[in-house]
Amino acid sequence: MILPRRILCAAVLCAALLQAACASRDFSLHSLPAETPASDNAIAIQRSQAALAQLQAAAAAAAKAPGTALTPMDVPPLQTYDPWERMNRMTYRFNARFDEHVFLPVANGYRRLPQPVRTGVSDFFSNLSEVVSVVNYVVQLRPAPGVRSLGRFVINSTLGLGGLFDVAAQFHIPSAPTGFGPTLARWGVHPGPYLVLPLLGPSTVRDGFGFLVDYGTAYAIDVAHLYRGDVAWALTPLNAVDQRANTSFRYYASGSPFEYDTIRFLYVRKALLEDDALRLWRRPVSPDPQAPAGR
Amino acid sequence: MRVFQLLYALLACTPLLQASAAQAPATGLADSAALRATVYGTPPQDIAPLPATVPLQEINIALSWARPLPKVLWFDRRLRAWFSPQDKPAPLAIVISGTGSDGNTQKISVLRAVLYGAGYHVLTLPSPTFPGFIASASSTGVAGDLLQDGRDLYAAAEAIVHHLPASVQITEVDVLGYSLGGANAAIVKSLDAADHGLHIHRAVMINPPVSMFASIDRLDNLFRQSIGPSPQDFDRFYRRIYVRLANFYRASDALRIEDTDLLAAAAAVLRTDADFSAAVALTFRLALMNVFYAGDLYAGTGVVTDPRHPPAPGDPTELVAQTLREKPFSEYFDKVFAPYYLARRPGATRTSLVADNRLSVIGDALRNDPDYFAQTNSDDLILDSAELEWLKTTLGSRIAVYDHGGHLGNLGDRQQVRDMLDMLSGHWSGANK
Repeated sequence: MILPRRILCAAVLCAALLQAACASRDFSLHSLPAETPASDNAIAIQRSQAALAQLQAAAAAAAKAPGTALTPMDVPPLQTYDPWERMNRMTYRFNARFDEHVFLPVANGYRRLPQPVRTGVSDFFSNLSEVVSVVNYVVQLRPAPGVRSLGRFVINSTLGLGGLFDVAAQFHIPSAPTGFGPTLARWGVHPGPYLVLPLLGPSTVRDGFGFLVDYGTAYAIDVAHLYRGDVAWALTPLNAVDQRANTSFRYYASGSPFEYDTIRFLYVRKALLEDDALRLWRRPVSPDPQAPAGR
Repeated sequence: MRVFQLLYALLACTPLLQASAAQAPATGLADSAALRATVYGTPPQDIAPLPATVPLQEINIALSWARPLPKVLWFDRRLRAWFSPQDKPAPLAIVISGTGSDGNTQKISVLRAVLYGAGYHVLTLPSPTFPGFIASASSTGVAGDLLQDGRDLYAAAEAIVHHLPASVQITEVDVLGYSLGGANAAIVKSLDAADHGLHIHRAVMINPPVSMFASIDRLDNLFRQSIGPSPQDFDRFYRRIYVRLANFYRASDALRIEDTDLLAAAAAVLRTDADFSAAVALTFRLALMNVFYAGDLYAGTGVVTDPRHPPAPGDPTELVAQTLREKPFSEYFDKVFAPYYLARRPGATRTSLVADNRLSVIGDALRNDPDYFAQTNSDDLILDSAELEWLKTTLGSRIAVYDHGGHLGNLGDRQQVRDMLDMLSGHWSGANK
């Protein structure tokens, strides 16, 4: 077990050094995974139709239940609660550098594997996460999605050969993961201070804690002895690289001096919008309308 | 690790609005269809046929004429460009992005794909108003001057092309761009006509402005009309959109805001012409904030940054962003742009600075050189009727004017792509062929 771990570390280090060497030159040219415009556009056509359907359904539902509508007075302020801003900015900067020199080169290498292999890896981890989702749906008192997650886990673990194939999606049971962060939100816990986590990126105190609890839950249940067995050390890095490879976000692609503010604004608004829809009791987003968003 | 997916979701949508990141209507709140086309862009089902795969390389280049890098822009040290090589001798198409945008937007991706599919090597460059360009490739740091930006862009393109590996065999060079990038492309070709550094053959401008500052003023007017000039107005606008989003998610089954990202969802809850105008105007204002901040920093004009105590990377920027959000281009012109260029150009006046930022500075070339082309829409928000007329009379049969599309709302559709490829390859025989 020690040998592969060393090899992995060495590989990551080499990639980092190679990147650093490139970075010091005046001109560098490196290949990225090829773009696939034809299939991307086909997906965009599907998505635009699905989005339209969702919008119409939501508009119809909103018309039926006008009493529960939010008013402009309930909206969290433009300012975001970020008492640890200096530390967060440092972490953001560290994450950007780590991403550029280590994480992204490794993920780009991984993207050269055939698509079916990568889809298998993604489906495998997505299937594992259903276990945590089921537990959290129970605590959230949401039986319907809980049963759906459980069904997905059973179908994909058996017919889907241990989760390598998302058979449930073929049966029109789409994935809808949840975790302990959303569970806390459902029971009325506020996001708290904005928090940029090392390596992981933007979060809040509540959701960062939720992330740890989710990992603990998975570790405690230990499906198929994966989290405590021989391959445990490879699990998290592979999951991380797979996720990164499926995400085209680039730190500082905006080139903007205001990127930190923009990401923080969007992240916390998105979290609050999700919270608002999740919360068991409909009530104002914040008891104090003047408090910065998130507190 | 979901965080990355989320961030992508958040940012992937910016092109949707960046699409509109250019300019505004000639007549107040322009017509509804034009505004909607501008915000939504070309529907995916109308996009021209695209190739299955396009190779992509990332280029990073340090340019000697860049100003010393301010600490807060540490991430913008080298200019980033993207290159898609053919494996045989082929013409090179250089594509320039629109206002405030990088050389890798969604619109650029479509252009790259159709150009690569048509047999071009494709090099895509950011707009000279993109903060990464200002920091790494501008010789002044004060962006927005058509000729100065053109010179920097031309020099950067030349440096990159000369660094390309010998295996890339280039038979000829053409240049094109959309929105402000269209005007940049024409200027680059005109500079090359004197300099012969790249031997640029043809230039195609897609939805270009004619008078830069007039187009920008239209956008600032749009901001005033649709959002309002004060911070309270902006707050009201934000609350209006947030409430609609919240009620949308309350009513929908999707409790996680997934692939349909936040900004795309926000675009979906726009309803009135004022909403769409606000989206167009705000997108432009966000781009202007970056230009303003960088310009103030480099010119040392002290509007939002203190020249004696330059900002550090850990400093909060929310208050600065708030201040800049309220500032129209005219304030950038008065407090940064004009002071900087008037001090460096003997004989220049405010009037001459404005006049130099019209496409008519290369009017003779546009009129007489058969290798300049343009595509635009009769309802493009950034042109008034006199400007559109000027383009038509100047270019004659070398312009295609489509009936609908607003600003860039038909970029990548079948007709636009067919005509663009005809123009680039010399097969264009006028709009009524």
